[in-house]
Amino acid sequence: MHLKYESQLREPLVYGEKTYHNVTEDIVRPIEAKPSKLWYIGFYIAVSLLLFGVYSVYRDVTYGIGQWNLNKTIGWGWDITNFVWWVGIGHAGTLISAILLLFRQGWRTGVNRAAEAMTIFAVMCAGQFPVWHMGRVWMAFFVFPYANTRGPLWLNFNSPLLWDVFAISTYFTVSLLFWYSGLLPDLATVRDRAKTKLRKYFYGVASFGWSGSTKHWQRHESLSLVLAGLSTPLVLSVHTIVSFDFATSVVPGWHTTIFPPYFVAGAVFSGFAMVQSLMLIVRKVFGMQDYITIGHIEAMNKVIVTTGSIVGVAYLTELFMGWYSQNKYEGYTFWYSRANLFSPYGWSYWGMMACNVLSPQIFWFKKLRRNLYVTFFMSVIVNIGMWFERFVIIVTSLYRDYLPSSWSVYYSPTIWEIGFYLGTFGLFFTCFFLFSKYFPVIAIAEIKYVLKTTGENYKEKMVHLEAVDASVFGHSGHGHTIVDNESSN
Amino acid sequence: MSSSITIKEQFEIPGKLKTWAFALMGVGLLALIAGFATKTGTEEERAVFIGTIMYNTIFWTLITNASMFFIAVTTLAMGGWQQSFRRIPEAISTMVPIFGAITLVVLLYIAFTGNHHIYHWLDTKSVETDEVLRGKSGFLNVKFFTIWTILAIGLWSLLGWRMRQLSNEADEERMDTEKGNSFIWRNTVRAALFIVWFALTVGSTVPWLWMMSIDAHWYSTMYSWYTFASSFVSGMSLIALWVIYLKNKGYLEYTNQEHLHDLGKFMFAFSIFWAYLWFSQYMLIWYSNQPEETIYFKNRVQGPYKGLFFLNLIINFISPLLIFMKRSSKRNYTLVTFMAILIIFGHWIDFYQMVMGSISKETVTLGWLDFGILSFFIGLMIFFVSKALASKPLVPKYHPFLKESIIHHT
Repeated sequence: MHLKYESQLREPLVYGEKTYHNVTEDIVRPIEAKPSKLWYIGFYIAVSLLLFGVYSVYRDVTYGIGQWNLNKTIGWGWDITNFVWWVGIGHAGTLISAILLLFRQGWRTGVNRAAEAMTIFAVMCAGQFPVWHMGRVWMAFFVFPYANTRGPLWLNFNSPLLWDVFAISTYFTVSLLFWYSGLLPDLATVRDRAKTKLRKYFYGVASFGWSGSTKHWQRHESLSLVLAGLSTPLVLSVHTIVSFDFATSVVPGWHTTIFPPYFVAGAVFSGFAMVQSLMLIVRKVFGMQDYITIGHIEAMNKVIVTTGSIVGVAYLTELFMGWYSQNKYEGYTFWYSRANLFSPYGWSYWGMMACNVLSPQIFWFKKLRRNLYVTFFMSVIVNIGMWFERFVIIVTSLYRDYLPSSWSVYYSPTIWEIGFYLGTFGLFFTCFFLFSKYFPVIAIAEIKYVLKTTGENYKEKMVHLEAVDASVFGHSGHGHTIVDNESSN
Repeated sequence: MSSSITIKEQFEIPGKLKTWAFALMGVGLLALIAGFATKTGTEEERAVFIGTIMYNTIFWTLITNASMFFIAVTTLAMGGWQQSFRRIPEAISTMVPIFGAITLVVLLYIAFTGNHHIYHWLDTKSVETDEVLRGKSGFLNVKFFTIWTILAIGLWSLLGWRMRQLSNEADEERMDTEKGNSFIWRNTVRAALFIVWFALTVGSTVPWLWMMSIDAHWYSTMYSWYTFASSFVSGMSLIALWVIYLKNKGYLEYTNQEHLHDLGKFMFAFSIFWAYLWFSQYMLIWYSNQPEETIYFKNRVQGPYKGLFFLNLIINFISPLLIFMKRSSKRNYTLVTFMAILIIFGHWIDFYQMVMGSISKETVTLGWLDFGILSFFIGLMIFFVSKALASKPLVPKYHPFLKESIIHHT
């Protein structure tokens, strides 16, 4: 037998008197019950937003991009800002599933399922922007490299925009597979408990005939490992390539070598903020306080303060190099256009600094990390800040570059640009509400995996191990004797 | 359940190791003297001579400081697995004040003798006539250089020392929950202080000031993170080497293949991370193809440094990628030893081309002097690290997370 031990100094990851059966009950119950009124209200709001978005996009397709306030100088505005913002949010899921899995972080089990789902929905939202931005969207298939009759009109493989197509579609595919293969055992659990025929059929099909045999588990484990291995570089590659959209150019404020890692850090930052917002709602609405504990929230706040500070170092590095390079165009962009509060867009730069760098610093304090209201407020602030970041990068670099005669007038979005953005919120939350109703929002099987090491009632049984001398741990062949002695007492 | 089983936890420095340390230092000193006698005729030669010492001392300061970074980060992450061998990175980090002092002397010597063959910005005449250099003089000046260098090295040493002091408490007596919590809390605070200072120095200003400013006109925002990645992966390799050495001598009973495997994962992952930063920096500069940026790579890719440039990639990226991909290779003591040496050597080459590629643009000077000075630093490191290892128990017996480390499964 393998010794289950964890230091008493660590908080339990699962609270309450829990057996395997309790875990199943707690997590599957919301799926089997009728949704609450709150759920319906939220769902209808989401669908309405989605419909508004659909109409906004309809206007864009029918009348063209002229429906937006983009102009010759500011060719990218809200659209690409929103695209990068959503892709960034889509980073936390894979980071939690893959990288935290490799780092053996047990707390990931409480939030990984919802985070992965969120990733998929966020990437779906992100994908809308470049597609509809094409204007003639019926030509969208031109982005695929296939043998065609358009003669020399072949894809430009040198363009980072095309790399984006590959990067994001790969990321989406792997995230989807990871999420779904993790769901299989849990869907089978729901199937086995089903009381209605329809439910049995639906979850039966969805769980691909999972029987829970050793062979299934064995394959499941190896598949998870392979997918984790594939996802880990993907966590870095997607936002790296998104950063290339800007950094390969020679536009001041865009061409800077630190962009790839700094974009990745920012993406993780905003992704965790979004997970935080969602998980706080989920734990309240579905009563999951035993599984999504304050300890989980605190751990995520630590990630937020870390990545926020990394992003802060990157901002200051850029700002410093804007001066140090003594390149007047870079200097102009950074010091006169962005960091100058009284320039037309100065407010957005300082909004970004305040939300992303300064405000997360409050999470150095344990009390604030563990405060739910502060956490929720901060999670929203961080996502506003990360939206500002993309807006600052895109718009403030474009509206005034090398040629003052092309400098643009102030850019503000039309109602249809805003509508499109709101529509993606609608899409995101519609999907999330459906997910939370029909799928287990917490990975049941994975919670069971950590339960006997980190569950509150199991940890209480381990207290005596604290008094055991460390050398016994080393000599007992991973604790056989300790456990045996205890059980025979 | 008594603790009657005694384990070998007090390191005694073998005579042979001491002999090796002295021999290496001796070789180094001979090389230094011979280099001083034969390679300091012209100003250019002097710049190469000092530059050779300079990149070695910066390299060793940063890779030993990486050990304290490792301790601080794992402390903040509430890591348990590293406790069984944490005294090794602690011992390595005692080198920071020693190598740091050498670095300080070398850098200040360059700054105060105005050696503008190394730091072009020290040439007052050029600065007067060169608009760019004049613009940068608020950062690139002797005063700031001196103050910041002293502060950086001083605070790394001080904050690292405070971390190690705290670690001694884990040798004293068993901690109950309350005491354990307070111990972990104080560790966290000290680690956080170290990390913040680390970010403000290694993560940003120090590599700009010490190394990037050799090419006084050139700049790259990635430079410091790149330097960090290079020094961190070598630092992890150095930890792995000492762990294996002590294992071979029969110490570190609680540390086993599981821990080695995780160290190997760090070496593997951060080799790829280094390559990622390398690629990001190189590709973006190559793609936009602006002369003021490509100049840095001109002599490195197309000039005399071409061979080293590709060797750097092969050693530091291709070989760890291929060799460490397999699980079994990360659990093999011989292979990890080989890879650790290879990675440290590879990043030493990386530092060589970063510094010397800028000081001696037209000729690659890599030769006996470089290896001689390298052996001096290795000797010094062996001497002091083994002393530090012998100064306290190898296992923090009462560390609250030690038991987690003992039963660690990767």
